[in-house]
Amino acid sequence: MIKVKNLNAGYGKLQILFDVNAKIEKGKITTVVGPNGSGKSTFLKTLFGLTKIYSGEIIFKDKNIAKVPPHQKARMKIAYLPQTNNVFANLTVEENLKIAGYVLDKDKVKERIEIALNVFPELKDVLKRKAGTLSGGQRQFLAMGMALVRDAEVLMLDEPTAQLSPKLAEVIFEKIIEMRDEFGLTILLVEQNAKRALEISDNGYMFVSGRVAFEGTAEELLNHEKFKEYSLGITAI
Amino acid sequence: MILEGAIIYSNLLVLLALGLTLTYITTNVPNFAQGSYAIVGSYVALTLLKLFDISPYLSLPVLFVVGAVVGLITYLALKPLLKRGASVEILMIATLAIDLILLGAIGAYSEILSQIVGSTQAKFVFANLDFTLFGFKGILFVSTFVIILLLIGLYLLLYKTKFGIALRASMENPSLAQTMGIDVEKTRLFSWILSGALACVAGGLLPFMQEIVPSTGDLIIISIFAASIVGGLRHISGALIGGYIIGLSESLITYYLSQAFGTGFLVYGKVISLIIMILTLLIAPYGITGVDWRKVKKMLFTS
Repeated sequence: MIKVKNLNAGYGKLQILFDVNAKIEKGKITTVVGPNGSGKSTFLKTLFGLTKIYSGEIIFKDKNIAKVPPHQKARMKIAYLPQTNNVFANLTVEENLKIAGYVLDKDKVKERIEIALNVFPELKDVLKRKAGTLSGGQRQFLAMGMALVRDAEVLMLDEPTAQLSPKLAEVIFEKIIEMRDEFGLTILLVEQNAKRALEISDNGYMFVSGRVAFEGTAEELLNHEKFKEYSLGITAI
Repeated sequence: MILEGAIIYSNLLVLLALGLTLTYITTNVPNFAQGSYAIVGSYVALTLLKLFDISPYLSLPVLFVVGAVVGLITYLALKPLLKRGASVEILMIATLAIDLILLGAIGAYSEILSQIVGSTQAKFVFANLDFTLFGFKGILFVSTFVIILLLIGLYLLLYKTKFGIALRASMENPSLAQTMGIDVEKTRLFSWILSGALACVAGGLLPFMQEIVPSTGDLIIISIFAASIVGGLRHISGALIGGYIIGLSESLITYYLSQAFGTGFLVYGKVISLIIMILTLLIAPYGITGVDWRKVKKMLFTS
């Protein structure tokens, strides 16, 4: 679905990603794990066009989209969900859902909002409330609901369970599985809760200092010696 | 009578402050040329009156379009700086430069117009052209009507249209708005066009209540900034609240001070605006709309 070739990117003159190669397969969950500052979130931002790309290619549907601006990527059915500030606090829940379907026609938006509300029924009772007044869990549901409204083919999620209770985080993981299985979405996930994320994933990448340290199926990564050491906090890799 | 003048002045200040707030929210540019935009409107209205005998009230749609073009040109001039991520200070200086260019251009234009018309047009008023209704000046009704029309229009635009919701989303979080497929650039452009248009319309009405000279804009800008800052530069509603607070205070306090201590106080009207602005910045740095009123209520209730 997406092929990343020799990608070098960063912020201004500060290079964060070095020669990254990756393949995100259609209809599968691919998780990127790694220590803090390893460039996981920057990788997602770069794919969506929010950083500076020095060199390399991002191939999506046989086209290099490395230089395509974010608002056009959204029109290409690629959705990105940032870790923080992922909803519009001053807009109502309903307006947030509507704006998520900005690139779609009116009837399609209506249809997609209905689908999103079926997956996240928790939002039905708070449609008229401003998103800024929602709890952390409700906000995350809204953010993911907005991703569903976008009718995307590729969904990139940056730490969707951050700052949530373990119980809520588990609900989010279940919703991610549902989004893949029910809607056939291709999901690229960045998670601090690496072990649980890999358990629900098909493939995985481990980033260290802006480079891909290991890659493989999620199972291979889970059983990788270095990953075990990392997840147990024995080594900084 | 004095209240009538204060309301008219406040109405025009709201129009000007709204534009300033709008462009500040969307592009982070404190536009020091906003006052001169208004004077461009004043001179266009004067030109239409002198050369084509068109009433300044009837020229408002033309002023709207001219102002839109002025706003658009300003934005295009600032765009390279915005693209490079210029600081607020640099942007502020850039708008000061634009203001100086406009000031020079208006001054030169007033000379040209004077030559064409055959009499000096360096200063002028429209007050003698106004009508009266129920004993009140026509400008009171027209400026209030423009404000009501604007508020209804803005409400419909911002809350009932897809583009309006996108505009609000872009104002709050432009990078998130981009992820939704919103072309944030378009919303920025729109805000500058609207800002210029509103300022020129205000400028067309301004000569009904005060004398206009090419540098009038540099004096009004103090009140415009005071209105936007007192109301809160982060909320459109701030311009409305701030516009009326500054407009009414400036007019009424100056009037009562001049009654008590002599007409010499009339010259210092802008000082009132500055004092209110400084006090607001000390008590509520984000202006009235930036205050968490629930917190204030809770504090007052518990103490």
